[in-house]
Amino acid sequence: MMRFLISRIGQSLLVIFVVYTCTFWLLMAAPGNPFIGEKQPPPAIIHALKVRYGLNHPWHAYWAYPWRVITRGDLGPTISYANWTVLDVIRSSLPISVSLGSLALLLALWLGVALGMLGAVTRGHWPDLTLTVGSLLGISLPSFVIGSILLLVFSTYGALLPSGGWGDLAQVILPACTLAAGFLAYIARLTRSGMLDEFSADYVRTARAKGLPPNRVIVGHILPNASLPVLSFLGPAAAALLTGSFVVEKIFAIPGMGEDFVNACLDKDIPLVLGIVMVYTVILVAFNLLVDIAYAFADPRISLHG
Amino acid sequence: MRRVLIMFSLLLMLIFVGGFWISGGDAARSRAIIFCQAGQIHTLDPAGMTWMQDIRAGLALWQGLTQYNPKTLNPMPGVAKTWTISAHGRTYTFHLRHHARWSNGDPVTTANFIFAWKRMLHPATGAGYVEMFFHISGARAYFNALANPHARPRPFSSVGIKAPDLHTLIVHLNAPCPYFLDLMAFPPFFPLNQASMARFTVRSGHSLAYYNPRFTRPPNLVTNGAYRLTAWKFHQYLEFKPNPYYWDRKTVRCRELHVVSFSDALSAFRAYQSGAVDVLSFVPPEFTAALLRQQQAGLRHDVHYRSVFGTYYYIINCTHTPLTNPLIRRALDLAIDKKQIVTDVTRLHEKPLTVLVPPGTIPGYHSPHGLAMNVLEARRLMRQAGYPDGRGLRPLKFLTNDTDSMNMLVAQAIAQMWRRHLGVRIRIETEESKAFNQDCVHGNFDIARAGWYGDYMDPTTWLDLFRSGNPNNHSQFSNRQFDQLMHQADIEPNPAQRFTLLGDAERLLVDRYMPAIPLFQYTDGLMYHSRKIGGIGPNVRMITLLQYIHWKHRPRGGTHP
Repeated sequence: MMRFLISRIGQSLLVIFVVYTCTFWLLMAAPGNPFIGEKQPPPAIIHALKVRYGLNHPWHAYWAYPWRVITRGDLGPTISYANWTVLDVIRSSLPISVSLGSLALLLALWLGVALGMLGAVTRGHWPDLTLTVGSLLGISLPSFVIGSILLLVFSTYGALLPSGGWGDLAQVILPACTLAAGFLAYIARLTRSGMLDEFSADYVRTARAKGLPPNRVIVGHILPNASLPVLSFLGPAAAALLTGSFVVEKIFAIPGMGEDFVNACLDKDIPLVLGIVMVYTVILVAFNLLVDIAYAFADPRISLHG
Repeated sequence: MRRVLIMFSLLLMLIFVGGFWISGGDAARSRAIIFCQAGQIHTLDPAGMTWMQDIRAGLALWQGLTQYNPKTLNPMPGVAKTWTISAHGRTYTFHLRHHARWSNGDPVTTANFIFAWKRMLHPATGAGYVEMFFHISGARAYFNALANPHARPRPFSSVGIKAPDLHTLIVHLNAPCPYFLDLMAFPPFFPLNQASMARFTVRSGHSLAYYNPRFTRPPNLVTNGAYRLTAWKFHQYLEFKPNPYYWDRKTVRCRELHVVSFSDALSAFRAYQSGAVDVLSFVPPEFTAALLRQQQAGLRHDVHYRSVFGTYYYIINCTHTPLTNPLIRRALDLAIDKKQIVTDVTRLHEKPLTVLVPPGTIPGYHSPHGLAMNVLEARRLMRQAGYPDGRGLRPLKFLTNDTDSMNMLVAQAIAQMWRRHLGVRIRIETEESKAFNQDCVHGNFDIARAGWYGDYMDPTTWLDLFRSGNPNNHSQFSNRQFDQLMHQADIEPNPAQRFTLLGDAERLLVDRYMPAIPLFQYTDGLMYHSRKIGGIGPNVRMITLLQYIHWKHRPRGGTHP
């Protein structure tokens, strides 16, 4: 167990460092100068700003950054929001993205598994067919279409829910549903196909032959095995949902991290892009690690010693 | 397995509740006026303000020696109660009000101005507008000496800023500057409260001192204008409340003002339509045409739209052959149907322009006549230049930025006109803003899109862009005759005579040498219901003075967006 954990953590750290290296040098190589706007300040001002942000010596900055992050937890100042540090920005936008994402994931997980089960049980009949079409739509429709439809129905015409913003529970419902839609559909399909695979398995026949009621066979025997693919999907899904979706945040005017990230890229705000990429990476790696460990607990075929 | 799922769900539940609790929890504020800006605030440090939204917030929080008259936008007394200008127009003596106060009750004195201006002139401050200070005698030399590590630093006393006492400020200029009082109302010239900033000093290396930008965040920020900043939630809202110590407190009728911004114009418009926002500082470009149609049909009355102090134009790289030849530049201008561009392509009710300084915006300045469309003449010029019907001419590289989808449409329409009328082939390239700006600086283009909003009410805000050696002279135009006229205007003390010289200079640009092709005057607007909100309105410079905004009739409360 310990060996497994240590090797996985070591791998994770390596991944984080590789991501950092790639991001840093890509940002350095990208065209454009963050300090030149439509009006160009005198060269002395551009130089002074480069010095302040530590960008005049890229190699020095490359090594100094991780050192500063580890020793002082300081992600540096932002360029485009000069009054706020990268940590300030992340501190204010990450909780928003994370809470929206966790609600969306919760919705996607429970509804997805429930609908997937329904589909498997009623295979070939109308509930299953409806669900198949519905999940196909959920996967293939981009979130800006789903979001716009929800807005039109519930906000513009229905006037039931606010059109956007953050701070009120009512404002969370539409974006959470939009964000959940694609994942929900995917989880439903995974569950359905997983269950259908298991239906014909020997242990299911045995359980039935022993006279167990169908409900108990499904919930107690089939579901645990059928949801293993769901479990492995949860790692990347959680990381993607929790760190914010640019599109959904833009449609619903939510001040989350996805929007910050895109704006930072466009503004060439190097410290902010780097900060957000690193936070995203750490979350992604952490969730994958968690899922690996959970997987090992859930599936006895996976060994923790290997 | 079930345990894993349930644990995971509980964890998610906990994250949701925790995250929401940290980030949300804003009660509805029905008393506040909610003002929505087009972009996020980039900085509330007056030294760094270059964006419209920052300047607007700056004007609400601070006050310079002068302030803008809400009707005419001409400078009127601000912190300075009176001033005198010497006969040759080069020395300004300001007399500060004795009862001007900071939001913490401190008196506003000349020391606050000296501190702020000295800080502006330090390169480490990174002030984008530092060049505005170079009107002041000795300021440029002082700045350059600090910027050059090998130069001997000059004392601040070498700069023409003197304060004989706490309420008298004397400024010496290099040359008469008719718009100097206008500049005094602009954020870079605002005073700063050094006592409240002292604990945010950062020192790195040798004497490279600057202030931790945290000083701009409540409750640290001390300002001397109509409002004080009482809350600032990043990317959510800024809360302004009247500054109880403001000397002209009675003009501030709004009890609470919230400034919000949306990254997406559509979301902002939706919030406005639902009543969650009271004023939009822009008219969403996607809908402008439709909204104006509705307004004309009498279906709505909340679009306040007009031509503004900004020009959309193309710059031509005057160092790239064959564009070094003014005949070709002139032919390119003559072949564009600017009227068609505004009526069929942009459709935002812009006025087509043949000059760079929008005519009629600067009182007393008479714009020259530019070129009217004339395809036959354009063809003749191309023949004369040696490229009849564009034969032998290489394809020209046209560079535009992707900030606005309109840029591309205008470029395509004009490329089409050039091809049809002159046989000139254009290769259009689109870039992100930051890359675009850098390529403009480096001259990596033949023709490029440009837009410029005037910073102060004087033709030089445009004409300076074409002076030899100006860092913003991206067309790299250099003409002795033009520079000579500009220099004469610099030292001319008579304002009318000066405008004549500047008019002559502009004529050289738009009628002879064409380093730029003016296309149209920008339009801009605000959206609000004038029976609900008063004290603001669109003006030629799009300066919204939030100081005067107030409820006329407050509808039943709305929720915070």
